Amino acid sequence: MQFRDQVDFVRQHVKKNRMRIFTTILATTMGCAFLIVLASIAFGLQGSLKKEILSDSSVTKIEVYSSEGEGINQKAIKKIPNVQALVGTTQFNSAVSSTVKFENRTGYGDVKFNNFEEQHKAKIKLSKGTYPTNDDEIVVGYNLGLNLLTKQEEQSTKEDQTGDEQAKKGYQHSLLGKTISISFTPENGEKHTKARQYKVVGIGEKPSKEWAMDMSIQLSETMKPVILKDFNAIADKTMKDKDFYNVSYNVYATDIEAVKGILKELKDMGLSVYSVTEQLDQLNVFFLALKVGLIFVGTIAVLIASIGIFNTMTMAVTERTREIGVMKAIGAGPKLIQRLFVMESAYIGILGTVIAIIISYIISFLANFALPKILDAVMPGSGIEKAGIQFSTIPWELVVIASLISIGVAIMSGWRPARKATKIDVIQALRQE
Amino acid sequence: MIRLQNVNHTFKIGKKGSEKKVPVLKDISFSVEQGEIISIVGKSGSGKSTLLNAIAGFLKPEQGSIMIHGKETTNLTEAEHAKFRSKNIGFIFQNFQLMPGLTAFENIELPLKIQGMGKNARFQVVQNILLKVGLEKVSDHYPNELSGGQQQRVCIARALVTNPPIILADEPTGSLDSETEQEILQLIMLLNESMDITFVIITHDEEVANIAHRKFRMHDGVLKEAVPSAV
Repeated sequence: MQFRDQVDFVRQHVKKNRMRIFTTILATTMGCAFLIVLASIAFGLQGSLKKEILSDSSVTKIEVYSSEGEGINQKAIKKIPNVQALVGTTQFNSAVSSTVKFENRTGYGDVKFNNFEEQHKAKIKLSKGTYPTNDDEIVVGYNLGLNLLTKQEEQSTKEDQTGDEQAKKGYQHSLLGKTISISFTPENGEKHTKARQYKVVGIGEKPSKEWAMDMSIQLSETMKPVILKDFNAIADKTMKDKDFYNVSYNVYATDIEAVKGILKELKDMGLSVYSVTEQLDQLNVFFLALKVGLIFVGTIAVLIASIGIFNTMTMAVTERTREIGVMKAIGAGPKLIQRLFVMESAYIGILGTVIAIIISYIISFLANFALPKILDAVMPGSGIEKAGIQFSTIPWELVVIASLISIGVAIMSGWRPARKATKIDVIQALRQE
Repeated sequence: MIRLQNVNHTFKIGKKGSEKKVPVLKDISFSVEQGEIISIVGKSGSGKSTLLNAIAGFLKPEQGSIMIHGKETTNLTEAEHAKFRSKNIGFIFQNFQLMPGLTAFENIELPLKIQGMGKNARFQVVQNILLKVGLEKVSDHYPNELSGGQQQRVCIARALVTNPPIILADEPTGSLDSETEQEILQLIMLLNESMDITFVIITHDEEVANIAHRKFRMHDGVLKEAVPSAV
């Protein structure tokens, strides 16, 4: 029998038992949709968490820490294959504060000393401008301007007991190309270092999180001894680097695949390392287990639906015993009879699965649209809606897995009744009225 | 065309463990030549339907040989037998055995579908058969919209459509009135003459049996050839 005729044959029988087949398809749809929606929660939450982690940090970045008192062998690290750049960042210890002045505005910034050449190599992007080439050029954080207040603004902020952020205005324009002066106050808080003028040549990228503020001021690494000299000029005794600075290092890999190898080399060198990929690996393992668990639970629903398919097909075989007998008598072989019944159960499985996929996408869309709003309404100020959390994601892999399970189970449910059909005795069948 | 030699078969009756063996076919040997009509007459329970089922391959006899078209059929598998039947044997049933959900046309084309013939080729073949059996005007009717005689014609057309050399007919007029019975018998004789088809007819009706070139009688599983009938 040609395939088209086989499909026609199946469709004819489906039409004849419309109501029964409809309810069976409905059960299959519900089972499969349950599986997809359930697993989509794991996919959705994993995606949201992954996004959250990656928004904080680059995947090619490896944070390196040395044991106390020991330095880092920068040359050796740079020699590790696939290391793109080694960016050392020097920050003041918490005792030192900075004062930033621009026009009639005053504020503070989070001062860091960087090797801009290495930063450039690491492809750390700026939102505006370029990396400095001279000592008196700096890169400032995206939100530094907001921290620079006039006396009036500062006064109104102090008066505002609630500390309402709306009262704070700050400098609303771009600082690019502007010159600002920076001075430092060491621990005792009485004396200030000499104020030095710097030209802003670059603005850092906008923080990925809406609530985050980047108030950094990046000076060239070569300014470190100059600033230390300024400190010593006002200090009672001679200070050294380590009295003021903490140094942290970030290694940048050429690509994400190289991260693992570099991590291993760094660990072998006795260094403590942290990479977001390690966190992602742990996250992936956890969510893999969760997904498998949820798919397993969903599969139980599909298996329950398969009982319906088994019943429908068994009834179909019993009802069509005479027809099967006639088919056999006029030349239909056992394989053809079996195929026709397996195709019928596959038809139920395929149709149920297709409808389930469509319904699942609708449910997923509605969940992502409505749930954040509902949760925000129930828990005001939770910021769930703003955070853009995906509660449900249906990737194509999930569609494929669910389809294979659902259609596979449907075919398996129809297998036994189909085998039964092949064993029908022609003589007995033809005797039936 | 059909050659049976020493065919024996028994049915097991009763509960498992204490079942009784009842012989239904006892050492049956006979042959049918191409283009012949033979009839097998007998009372209910005489074994005539069992014999027909053995020839059709629905039942495997315990002993003996059945050669059809020069091929030993008793050792064929179920699938091989189905294929063999599809090409060589047509069936006419007492209660027509039509598919209720299919029209007369669709019922007739079913064996061709099973053989895997394409739609256009099928259409031509079925149209020719419909003309032969005089059903061209009711081809789109469902079985419940046809008279008994028309249903039997559909059944005959379905048996003929694959152009088999042999047609096995089990009580072909058993469900028909005497007028329609005559029509069907005329049709069988016409097809036998015009298409050289071999007919094996099982009946308990002497009138039906008399259209055969040779007549056999079956009694308690024993087959004997009767005095040749005048056709």
